[in-house]
Amino acid sequence: MRRLLTTFGLAISSLVEHPMRSLLTSLGVIIGVGAVFAMLAIGEGTTRQLMEQANSVSTRTMTVYQDWGRRSGRSSQARPRKPFIESDVEEFRNIPGVVAASGEVSRNVSAVSETADWNSTLTGIDTDYLNANDLTVQRGRAINFVDLDQRATVALIGQTIARTLYRDQDPIGQRIKVNNIPFEIIGVVNPSDQQNWRGQDPDDFILAPLTTARNRVTGGNQYVSSHVESIKVVGGPDADLQRIQAEMDIILKRSRGIKATETPDYRIFNFAANIAARAKTDRTGTLLLAAMGIVSLIVGGVGVMNIMLVSVTERTWEIGLRMAIGAKKSDILTQFLTEAVLLCLFGGLAGLALGYSVALLPFWGDISLVYTLQTASIAFGSAMFIGVVFGFLPARRAAQLNPIEALRHE
Amino acid sequence: MGSTEVRALDDVSLDIEQGDFVAIIGSSGSGKSSLMNMLGGLDKPTSGDVFIAGQDMRGLSSSALARFRNETIGFIFQQFQLLPKKSALKNVTLPLQYRRPRYDEPLKRAQVCLEMVGLGERSHHKPTELSGGQQQRVAVARALAGEPKVLLADEPTGALDSKTSVDIMRLMQELNRDGITIIVITHDEEVAAYANRVIEFRDGKIIADKRQEVAA
Repeated sequence: MRRLLTTFGLAISSLVEHPMRSLLTSLGVIIGVGAVFAMLAIGEGTTRQLMEQANSVSTRTMTVYQDWGRRSGRSSQARPRKPFIESDVEEFRNIPGVVAASGEVSRNVSAVSETADWNSTLTGIDTDYLNANDLTVQRGRAINFVDLDQRATVALIGQTIARTLYRDQDPIGQRIKVNNIPFEIIGVVNPSDQQNWRGQDPDDFILAPLTTARNRVTGGNQYVSSHVESIKVVGGPDADLQRIQAEMDIILKRSRGIKATETPDYRIFNFAANIAARAKTDRTGTLLLAAMGIVSLIVGGVGVMNIMLVSVTERTWEIGLRMAIGAKKSDILTQFLTEAVLLCLFGGLAGLALGYSVALLPFWGDISLVYTLQTASIAFGSAMFIGVVFGFLPARRAAQLNPIEALRHE
Repeated sequence: MGSTEVRALDDVSLDIEQGDFVAIIGSSGSGKSSLMNMLGGLDKPTSGDVFIAGQDMRGLSSSALARFRNETIGFIFQQFQLLPKKSALKNVTLPLQYRRPRYDEPLKRAQVCLEMVGLGERSHHKPTELSGGQQQRVAVARALAGEPKVLLADEPTGALDSKTSVDIMRLMQELNRDGITIIVITHDEEVAAYANRVIEFRDGKIIADKRQEVAA
């Protein structure tokens, strides 16, 4: 142990006596470790982001749309569209693994309060809607079965409506005129976690019972009385979304009289499948980034080796002297190897700081850099590894010197 | 094409007594440096035997030789060979760094050695802040630090002016009186004058070996 300390002391003093050389030598390692650390952080950040998304309600959501163009390229051949109906939603809800199934109709409407007006969207909803869209009521109450049954003219509003139409007042109990039809506000919905998607404000909405909306605002369908325009189905956290999607497909085909081999006139959009594909490309990207980091680390290592070789040549007489007064080959080897490793150790620490500060740069946007102890030790460990690998050749060359010739070297 | 065999030392038989002060003299190429390398455990003869302090040098491995040099020999070089960025004190501790088992309190020992060569006050100066004579004194102190049996000096005055040379040789004489064996390799008759015994080499052979009255 004390012998190790002596060796370290020797190496440190030699490095401190040549501060410029030491700094330049470790610069490659600093940049290399910084790069590896930052790249791993980007990879980790992307993985985390995807994992969060994969666990959120929105990724477990499947949406069923009418597919207007899919049956035929020519509009004259498009059959009269049969809408989805409430019993479809009911059947979806009964599929094992489904936690929420919600049908909806919606229209762009003008909304008027006592003091202001606003263009927004009215969505007619059922009792599963809030769950299916990961929304909760902030104040007041949600829409219930009684509201649906009685076609009550009650409404929930989003934060944007509360802000623009009611400002400082409490909107609950207030009246809102939607396309001139008065609704009573029974609740305000919490801000949505959704990102501002395609320029749409996720908090700009009015929700009313499906039955009321269909009856008073959007109008009915000429063929069926209980139509819905689109359906959202949410699977449980561990549910097999593929199987649920397959069952939904069967239900819809039967309900709409489409043969198994026929092209359906609807589309089921599965967000999770999308995420999985993205995860795959992201992983490839991460590997590429890590490879770039490792290449720069190797370049740094070659730099260390280069300078150490120069240093061995420069200090040949010193090596000769040390051998003459009793240093063994192994002492010399250890001394130079320790110097190389110490350089890389210092470079590793500085590199971690560099890699960490990279996150402060302004151009990352949505990419989050996540630093963990694990990635730090990978980056730091590879610096030590580089030190040993690239320090070995110069150290061995030093140890193999013939003391007589080395002493003569000036 | 054949290569000519060069014999740096040829048919040399030599005994050096413990406690003696010997000068080995000869012009360059006479083989005196090769002799010194063998006496110092830096080299081994192609054939023949070298015994130092009862130890057969031929049987020693490279690390055993290193240990032998560390414990038995103190080297003094023409160009002093001091590490320029380290203080005199640190330079003197250098042989003790390689001592196994570990030497206790090497700095104390180094200070004692510097006092022996008259540089006790200068122990924290770096070599560049010392004169040539003082640097060589530091080198002598370094050679003494490991308490060797033999001081082996290779042209110790080669880089010094004549007055300083006299100081260094007197110092060696004093050390010799205290009991240490000294071997000086030189081409300079005046330096050789300080020794009790002068052995002259030419073309790898001994041509003269005489005892003399010591100059004072």
